[in-house]
Amino acid sequence: MDAATRWWYAVGELSGTSTSGTVSAGEHEALLRNHAALVDQFDAVNEVLSAVGRSGGDPDTVLTTIVDSARRLCRSDAAHVYILEDGVYELIKAVGVSDASLAFIADHPMPVDRDTLIGRVGLTHRTQQIADVLADPDYGRHDLQRVAGYRTTMGAPMLIDDEVVGALTLWRNDVSPFDEREMAIVSAFAVQAAMAVKSVKLVQQLEARRAELGRKVEQLEALRHVGEAVSSSLDVEAVLATIAMHAVELSGTGGGSIMEYSPRDHSFLVRSVYKTAPEVVERLRAAHIDLDETVVGRAARERRPIAVEDLGALDLDPHLSILYDAGWRSVVAVPLLRDEQIVGSLVVRRKQTGGFSDETLELLETFASQSALALINARLYRELKEQSVELELASRHKSEFLASMSHELRTPLNAVLGFSEVLLERLFGDINERQEEYLQDIHSSGKHLLELLNEILDLSKVEAGRMDLEYSVFALRPLLEGAAAMLRERAAAHDIDLQVGQADDLGELRSDERRLKQVVLNLMTNAVKFTGDGGSVRVNASRHGDDVEITVEDTGVGIPESDRERIFESFQQGGRGSSREEGTGLGLTLCRRLVELLGGRMWLRSEVGVGSTFGVVLPQGAPGGAEPDKTGEGLADVVVIEDDRPSLDLLAAYLSGSAVRVTTARDGQSGLDAVRRVRPAAVLLDIKLPGIDGWAVLRALKSDPTLREIPVVIISVLDERVRGREMGASAYLVKPVGRDQLWSALAAAGLAFPERDEVTAP
Amino acid sequence: MNQNRILVVEDNPKNLKLVKDVLTHWGYVVIEATTGEDGVRLAGEASPDLVLMDLQLPGIDGMEALRRIREGDRSRQVPVVAVTAFAMTEDRQRAFDGGFDGYVEKPISVRDLHDQVRDFLELGGAR
Repeated sequence: MDAATRWWYAVGELSGTSTSGTVSAGEHEALLRNHAALVDQFDAVNEVLSAVGRSGGDPDTVLTTIVDSARRLCRSDAAHVYILEDGVYELIKAVGVSDASLAFIADHPMPVDRDTLIGRVGLTHRTQQIADVLADPDYGRHDLQRVAGYRTTMGAPMLIDDEVVGALTLWRNDVSPFDEREMAIVSAFAVQAAMAVKSVKLVQQLEARRAELGRKVEQLEALRHVGEAVSSSLDVEAVLATIAMHAVELSGTGGGSIMEYSPRDHSFLVRSVYKTAPEVVERLRAAHIDLDETVVGRAARERRPIAVEDLGALDLDPHLSILYDAGWRSVVAVPLLRDEQIVGSLVVRRKQTGGFSDETLELLETFASQSALALINARLYRELKEQSVELELASRHKSEFLASMSHELRTPLNAVLGFSEVLLERLFGDINERQEEYLQDIHSSGKHLLELLNEILDLSKVEAGRMDLEYSVFALRPLLEGAAAMLRERAAAHDIDLQVGQADDLGELRSDERRLKQVVLNLMTNAVKFTGDGGSVRVNASRHGDDVEITVEDTGVGIPESDRERIFESFQQGGRGSSREEGTGLGLTLCRRLVELLGGRMWLRSEVGVGSTFGVVLPQGAPGGAEPDKTGEGLADVVVIEDDRPSLDLLAAYLSGSAVRVTTARDGQSGLDAVRRVRPAAVLLDIKLPGIDGWAVLRALKSDPTLREIPVVIISVLDERVRGREMGASAYLVKPVGRDQLWSALAAAGLAFPERDEVTAP
Repeated sequence: MNQNRILVVEDNPKNLKLVKDVLTHWGYVVIEATTGEDGVRLAGEASPDLVLMDLQLPGIDGMEALRRIREGDRSRQVPVVAVTAFAMTEDRQRAFDGGFDGYVEKPISVRDLHDQVRDFLELGGAR
């Protein structure tokens, strides 16, 4: 029989009494009283039930109604509802209980045992009473009884699925046991109270869960912000400020700071502060927060967070005393660690005393690890920046020194070379043989000095990564022949046979022509220099797949094994015996660096007393796979004068499919030099050029009888066709220019360069 | 022989002598200046057909001298060529950016100088 049924049963008994047989006047009166009581009970139950119905969202109202009604209906002095938490009753609603009693109950919780009525209710799951607590030998809470003064107590268990969740109890201050009807009412009310408590619990759980979820989401959001800030920003101050802010907000504290540990100073330096008065920030930044003498330091040493719940109860270190003076009362210091190394500390604080939950500490530790990362990033970045500033400075000093040295050496060299050239050219009269010999010595020594200077500059440029390469497409054989021509006189003087061998079936090479020539000339100069009179120097080139190999072979003294690496180092000439003339000691170093820069490599084969072979292997890199030329003579020279790199490349590309050898120039002056040197079949000329512009170049070409006949095609963004024609240009093309346009212009100028295939066809 | 007038601005006496002697030998009239200030003044007063200008000079340097020459009514049009011992690629670029019409690197080649001077005079003739 559950409590509700028992109650109805009790009511039924009363009704039964009222309808059975005849009644006396006294009985009638009693009957009326009972009837009135019954109506009262009905009202009460209705009231409770309707309160329960109304209070769907508010169990507190239900419990209030229950204790009020129970107290009234059962003529009690006090009524209370307890809930059972972790085996102990907690009073959640009471009526008719003095403040002293409430406090006493709060301080002396009641467990489920036989000492108290609610304890017994909890044990037996039954509604029961103690008619007189003072007469009950088992009653164990006379202390409470003395404070509250009750004598009779009755209570019912609050059950959910047969589990005790609480109890509803009543007190009477006189000895006056409750009757069965009253017990039935309390039992019924206990059922309602249980349901109210259940919904309270459910709501509480839901709310707790929702709050927890909300907190977790908030934490995750914050961590994500921090993570993003750490990984995306090199602005450390901003990152640390972000972390400090989130750490403080999420831990529900009032302020905080992030410190960086300096191993050198054995102390912490405040890097970022959140929600703290400026003057306090100033004091914090100035403070010496020692590793051994502060709470922050101890947390770091012990590799764990340390919370101080009440700063007032502690001997304060310098850091904490600044905080205490500023009104802060509790702090947590969390060490920032990275691979067990102390990086810094995260400190949050409150203006109230009190502890910090495990959850808060855990959260702070997560922030701490992010902060550690940010600080380490910051430190690395700072070091890098300092280093790069130093490097930049050193590099600038070196460049300035080289530029100034170059200038200072060139100035006197100008006079040395200039005057000796003037005399050798016999500008001012004849000279005798011996004078000429001495002048040659002066001039070549001057040239040598200049060469040394240029190599130093080149090498330093390569090493500073500032060597600008100018790629173009060119044929190899003319390059080798050109270099050989420059040395032929010197070789002949020593009866050295200098020959360029097979090099004309290689097609074209895409590389830096000037730099490659510099390398080849250097190797050939060395070969001539170290070959005895009557020896020979052979230059060859061959193709290996996509690579081109150039070899310079001499019958010189050879290089001993031990010197073969050393000679590539600066200022090491190796034990190649006495050379005929002094070298710079930089040539091979520079050669190797340039070849590497061009994407190739160098090799050396040598036998002492037999000779040496230096090899240069370069990627061919020619567009269109470079069909081999059968005859170098089949190539027509075209000089392209254009300062804009992309336009230059484009024009070279247009011409690359044909039997044309392109020479490029980036300004008017060098363009004119190139035309005089190469005597090309045609000139492609831009108008807007640095220095001498295209018009001036055109005028110079047309006014020189030896150059006048060379067709000039102007290619410009300016549309001045009439002027171009008047000045003698063969064609005038306005950019952008297509390949076909270029070809028809050249054809119109009487130039039909055969396609590569036509040249190579048998 | 042509009577073109060439102003040479050069502070190093030996290099000034070299250029002057060579140009004179080829029949040019050479006007000398050893400072930038003098160069600017003579570019106006002496009406040269071409100015060969060192970049590093006592007082105002070649760049500043060029700027002032370009401001002068009488010297606005004259071709000005840098003749300098600065030999870096950037130096050449800087000179062209600064408005020089040409750039000759020291040590000069006496033989090439002849062609170069002719080209630059052509340039002036076109203006």
